[in-house]
Amino acid sequence: MTETKAKRRSESISYWYLFLIPLFAILAVIEFYPLVEGIGDSFTNPNGAFSFSNYTMIFADHAFWSALLVSLAYTVGSTSLCVAVGLVLAFLVTQRVRGRGFFEALYVFPLAVSPIVVGVVWAPGGVWDDIQTFTHFILHIPYWNELSVFFYFPVMILSEAWEWGPLIMLVALSIVNAQSPAVFEAAEVFGATAWQRFRMVAVPSILRSPVLQFVVVLRLIDAMRAFEIPLAWSNWVGFQTTIGSPVDTLSLYLYKLIFIPAYGFPLGLITAVGVALLGGTLVAAYAMMRLLQRVGASRP
Amino acid sequence: MNKTKKKPLSFDSRIVAYGSLVFAALYSVWPIMVMGLEGYNVDLSPLFSGKGIRFVGGVPAYSGGIYPTPIHYLDALFIGAFPRLLGNTLLISAISIAMALAAGLGTAYMLARIPVRGRGVLSYLLLALRAVSPFLVIVPLYIYYTRNGLWDTYFGLALAEELTILSVVVWMLRGFFADIPREVYDAAAVFGASEGQIFRRVALRMVIPGVIVTVVFSFILIWNEFVIADILSGGAAKTVAVGVWSGLGESVQAFKVVSPDDLNAGGFLAWVPAIAVMLAIRKYLAKGYSLGTAS
Repeated sequence: MTETKAKRRSESISYWYLFLIPLFAILAVIEFYPLVEGIGDSFTNPNGAFSFSNYTMIFADHAFWSALLVSLAYTVGSTSLCVAVGLVLAFLVTQRVRGRGFFEALYVFPLAVSPIVVGVVWAPGGVWDDIQTFTHFILHIPYWNELSVFFYFPVMILSEAWEWGPLIMLVALSIVNAQSPAVFEAAEVFGATAWQRFRMVAVPSILRSPVLQFVVVLRLIDAMRAFEIPLAWSNWVGFQTTIGSPVDTLSLYLYKLIFIPAYGFPLGLITAVGVALLGGTLVAAYAMMRLLQRVGASRP
Repeated sequence: MNKTKKKPLSFDSRIVAYGSLVFAALYSVWPIMVMGLEGYNVDLSPLFSGKGIRFVGGVPAYSGGIYPTPIHYLDALFIGAFPRLLGNTLLISAISIAMALAAGLGTAYMLARIPVRGRGVLSYLLLALRAVSPFLVIVPLYIYYTRNGLWDTYFGLALAEELTILSVVVWMLRGFFADIPREVYDAAAVFGASEGQIFRRVALRMVIPGVIVTVVFSFILIWNEFVIADILSGGAAKTVAVGVWSGLGESVQAFKVVSPDDLNAGGFLAWVPAIAVMLAIRKYLAKGYSLGTAS
């Protein structure tokens, strides 16, 4: 496109901004207004005066720091396990056997389970009954204490990875399918087994792909605000009304502050925690932006 | 990997391959199956003790005591509120998706094609919208909703669900607009179409399959969404995901004890439509969950 043409075009396209009106109308109600209001509330003390007291309260609140730690452990654990599960599933369905499409469809099943129902599915009464019975009576392992944090925290992480592993599988498959088959054939000529081909050829290219990294960042964001599975587990292990328990992620901590009358609905504290989290959100969005630019650059 | 002739697997490695595929299938499907069966009050766990089947006078008897009953499913479907919740969810997602499309189609086209200033800021804003936790905005929104009569209404909930789907819709549509071959746009321009005409008469028509995928995908997101729907709805506008957890047909309370069998039956009922819809757009799931970046 020549210089003048580009210039003429840019003069006649400003009416496209009109398309943003409905978008910003929606965002104004559900995003900007609550954010501004929340920031205002976070700087207001219970008497209605301007103060930083809500932010100093966060530092003194053990439940917040405990929730932050729980969220971090949950995020790191579930996301890494999720990637591992997804890669294994992707390897399984790239094996050259009949019916792998059928198995791929089966592996997508967990993705359709609503997160709150995932908390129900993996509850002590359901699947764990079967697994416990098997390990106890057949393998003669003593019963696990389902109320011990060393049991239920890994199970929460496992259920998160169970639900989202298929997503990593789908993304990994889309990356592998876009790859030139010549690389795999070359590896095969040199005598690499299927597993070696996957591990040494496919996995590095999957992990290096900005698309997968983008999805992993999304997963990290979603795990950091995990709510439904911890909510279900706080019911199973009896932490319905305590904050600062090992199942309280940041979201669940806020939820309990909002809904449990005993805490007296500390509006200032709730909004201050929200504003503190906003910083992390903006950083995450920046990381997504950078990866998105790399996706665009790697496309033809 | 299709063009060259491939070495068929040996018998042994095929057994290993199928064994691992079946094992992973059990891992994926077993918990869902257990949920479906628990809804019928069927507990399989005694089978795993190795002592599940006893012989009583030579007749095999199951020591788990299975008394399968469809009562929980029947209760949910015909006495409880499942049909009403289904209607609620459909209505809310219809309103919400219509609003998202109205706001998103033009924006997505602009992001994909029109080099206006501020596209970078807009992209960042939409990504931040995807990253924002509902808990950042839900408290002021809740207060606003209760004061203005939007709480527990279809429109109010549909509006709030934009938090879940708006950025996804815009990014997915942007990808679909960008996938239309450049030559199409150039040809339209050669015939003298203005940018507005290209959008209305060429791009919008070619993007219809992409819009359908986007609509279906957004529906799945709203169907499974819990936080916003739970906090901003009471008895009237409750969605399926909330109803399953808080008891089908009863009012929402923060922590409510619902019998495990009802939970399992409701969870399974909620899963069936979701997986049906998901398998229908299986090829596009990666695209949807990655905001249109995966192919």
